[in-house]
Amino acid sequence: MTQSRYDAIVIGAGVNGLVAAHYLARAGRRVLVVEREANPNPSFDIGWVPPQVVRDLDLERHGMRFTESDPWIAAPLEGGGRLELSRDLDRSVEAIRRISPADAAQWPDFCTRMRRLAAVLERLYVVPPPDIESRDPRELARIAGLGLYVRRLGKQTIIDLARVLPMSIAELLDDWFESDALKGILGAVGVWHLKQGPRSGGTAFNFLHHHVGSPIGVFRPPVSNIGSVLSDLPGIEVLRGQEAVATHGPDGRLIGVMVGPSGDTIEAPVVVSSEDPRSALEHLKPILDPEFVRAVDNIKYRGVVARGTLVWQGPTSFTNLCVAPSLEYLERAYDAAKYGRDSERPYVELRAEDGRIDVHVQYVPFRHDDSNPDRQRTLRAAVVAVVAPHVPEIKTAESRLVLQCPDQLDLTEGHLYHGELTLDQILFMRPVPGWSRYRTPLDGLYLCGAGTHPGGGIAGAAGRNAARVILKETKRS
Amino acid sequence: MGYDAIVIGGGHNGLVTAAYLARAGKKVLVLERRPRVGGAAVTEEIFPGFKFSMFSYVVSLLRPEIIRDLDLPRHGLHILPLESTVTPMENGDYLAAWADHDETRRELYRHSPRDAEAYDEYGRLMHFMAQAVKPILGMVPPDPTSFAPGDLVSLLKLGKHFRGLGGERLHALVKLMTMSSADFLDEWFETDVLKATKSASGIIGTFLGPRSPGTAYVLLHHYMGELDGVFRAWGFAKGGTGAVSEAIASAARVFGAEIRCDASVARVNVKDGRVTGVVLENGDDLAADIVVSSLDPRRTFLQLLEPNELPPEFVADIKRFKFRGSSGKVNLALDALPSLTCMPGVGRQHRGAFSISPSLDYVEQAYDDAKYGEFSRRPYMDIVFPSMIDPGMAPPGKHVMSIFVQYAPYHLNGGWTDAKREAFGDAVVNAVECFAPGFKSHILHRQVLTPLDIERITGLSEGNIFAGELALHQLFFLRPAPGWAKFATPVRGFYQSGSGTHPGGGIMGASGRLAAFRILKDGR
Repeated sequence: MTQSRYDAIVIGAGVNGLVAAHYLARAGRRVLVVEREANPNPSFDIGWVPPQVVRDLDLERHGMRFTESDPWIAAPLEGGGRLELSRDLDRSVEAIRRISPADAAQWPDFCTRMRRLAAVLERLYVVPPPDIESRDPRELARIAGLGLYVRRLGKQTIIDLARVLPMSIAELLDDWFESDALKGILGAVGVWHLKQGPRSGGTAFNFLHHHVGSPIGVFRPPVSNIGSVLSDLPGIEVLRGQEAVATHGPDGRLIGVMVGPSGDTIEAPVVVSSEDPRSALEHLKPILDPEFVRAVDNIKYRGVVARGTLVWQGPTSFTNLCVAPSLEYLERAYDAAKYGRDSERPYVELRAEDGRIDVHVQYVPFRHDDSNPDRQRTLRAAVVAVVAPHVPEIKTAESRLVLQCPDQLDLTEGHLYHGELTLDQILFMRPVPGWSRYRTPLDGLYLCGAGTHPGGGIAGAAGRNAARVILKETKRS
Repeated sequence: MGYDAIVIGGGHNGLVTAAYLARAGKKVLVLERRPRVGGAAVTEEIFPGFKFSMFSYVVSLLRPEIIRDLDLPRHGLHILPLESTVTPMENGDYLAAWADHDETRRELYRHSPRDAEAYDEYGRLMHFMAQAVKPILGMVPPDPTSFAPGDLVSLLKLGKHFRGLGGERLHALVKLMTMSSADFLDEWFETDVLKATKSASGIIGTFLGPRSPGTAYVLLHHYMGELDGVFRAWGFAKGGTGAVSEAIASAARVFGAEIRCDASVARVNVKDGRVTGVVLENGDDLAADIVVSSLDPRRTFLQLLEPNELPPEFVADIKRFKFRGSSGKVNLALDALPSLTCMPGVGRQHRGAFSISPSLDYVEQAYDDAKYGEFSRRPYMDIVFPSMIDPGMAPPGKHVMSIFVQYAPYHLNGGWTDAKREAFGDAVVNAVECFAPGFKSHILHRQVLTPLDIERITGLSEGNIFAGELALHQLFFLRPAPGWAKFATPVRGFYQSGSGTHPGGGIMGASGRLAAFRILKDGR
């Protein structure tokens, strides 16, 4: 038998793929990364980078930086002016006081309680999810340890966890605040990339998920350059501009990957795919257990966000601008999506940087006619119509606004996170129940993308968790 | 003349508590505000000769151990099975589920061979899940924040029980606890009308639509019904649901309990953190060492007690407890039964339910209206004809028709008025007319009940039929408030036993029974 040149092949050079590759390489494995795109994507990465990843891969020394805009969000107010929330808690309190003294009084306590809950998630996210079916004493001990950790947090935090996670973000915010503008800013995070409205259960969890890694009082995820730093990080071999799929022999055992268009096979005992679960497993369906295939088919993707960019010369009056004036506004925007239509008045968030504005438009449900020019035109007009009252300059730029609907995003059903972050699709249920430990039914094939625990919006955690599982389960050849 | 225990509220849970306490030898007094016992499970002759189960209208969730312990059949409880469900569709077709399993399968096959195949497997899973959850209905929820040995043992047992289910079923349970009924059913079926009809069980009593997460749990909750050991069997009580209450009351009386109607309690007396008795609206002062409220949490804690008698954070939790009534009821007296366009004439279909849930979008749109404070223009309805099964409910040749309607929000824009109530009644009748033309001309009398009416008559806050929403964050050890889910309250000697406590909802009686056990245990 010929010796493979590689111990492991990673499919996809996104953040999770590269993190997994570097962790494997650091442990002495010979790793090849195969990436479809010819050139690295220079854009910024949104989401928490667990400090373990930064430390282990020595990313700061290689130039990794967080962009910390302050204020972290601005929202237009109905009567004119803006609500700007700062990284400084006291300044935020002052800003909120101008629209609601009652809410200002609640703000510090709310922020403290949410930070405490996010900290619990942070702890859960840097390890594989608890395997509640396991009979392995070590795993049981680990679960018991987690249980003990949670109980030590004190009564209030336990109750908050049990009560807040299944809640809707609207219920949570209505318990605390009265200001529509403030609730709109916070509620928008609760529905991020979900085909759910703010009144749907589980959106409070989504809100907390996107709070991990942020300082107290900041409810927009960190922004970093981790992707470009990883692309330049030495120590692994990257083959660019090649499609790759895991391939197996007639006996159903993993051989390695087949790279296109040549169809050459590169052998390796371990293949790690950072693609979303459905894409990673699609061509393997014939040899997989039908129950497993059914579970993969049942993963809810349901992209609902259109992403846009607008080339913008000159200054902007904002860094981050959120147009979601109230929870009801968000709920009404969602109503259209329930019936497969685009929101007439969507939730829009703008982020200005380096001569361009990134645009998040929700709800734009995944459909197969996304490239339909009429749809594009209507959507563009809708974005301009809701933004223009607050940023009049955008009217002149309408023709330059390039929008990508979910179908055009080159992601399964246009879902950025490789599957919705709903309560039935997290922890030991992600990517599919019973297969949450990065393994797949095909021995040697692992998943390490956002479709696995802890999911999208967190940079590198899945890659690191997966690599650690792989190192434990496979021997060096 | 003193009592060992006074039970406030003569609804089915209050009566169950009273019966169990009396059975254990306690001297018990039940105080009911209305002229008759039953709360929301009452039968009333609203129009001469026409009797209605005014609010709650089907029975299935009543715990079999209660039927057994209290020997309810001897006290007149007789359940008649509800045989079928017919869902008329907008294209003139229908979907039917019959008492005969094979016939139902053939009917499903007509719509989708795949769904007919999946149907049995789905039924088995739901049956199993309901069985798996059943022990929880009969247990006092442990407090996960407590380090008391009893709670830890309970938690461990619970963990063991769930692990014992095995992976696949444990995952199904997680899905049922977290998903929307539409998403959950999507994993099983492709026929829209089937999903719409099934998902309707998931929205009953909630302020949620079939696509809202959390509704799959309510779906499961409704699968827990058990009649004569047969799961998922729904039926009528002979004489209406009031007969269930009367049977429990009769059992309680035989055990020695005293039941006083037209006796409205004004407040609960507390001295030094201990209950001492109650004061009635008429000024009567009644002493007892134990007082049990079967009213919902809001009325129990915010009306019967003074706020300074309770810890402030507990009061805040109770204020936060959500009711948001969303259901209405229309009771009709008819001179002839309606004939469905999709299944003309009068026949066996009238011995079962008509479900007005032609598509998922139809039900979801009904919810959309309610979300923004309007009643559904085209509501979801569950319709039954009790007089077809129990002829005593209507004069010969005439019929009673019970229409459960969703959604009618308690907080209607501009508030409920007489005119709005009639407009709501018209919307309901017109929606039925769409599927049964000519039906309107057979209406002799009409009673329309909005959530506000339900609140006024039964006392259920905001007209919520479950005495508090069955939302995940209001269940188990969080029902009605964290730390106080074990039927005791911060006031010593004062207990809660209504549907607003674990497990809550439906004519189940489990809360009332568990509360009685807790009281008896504390007394030892």
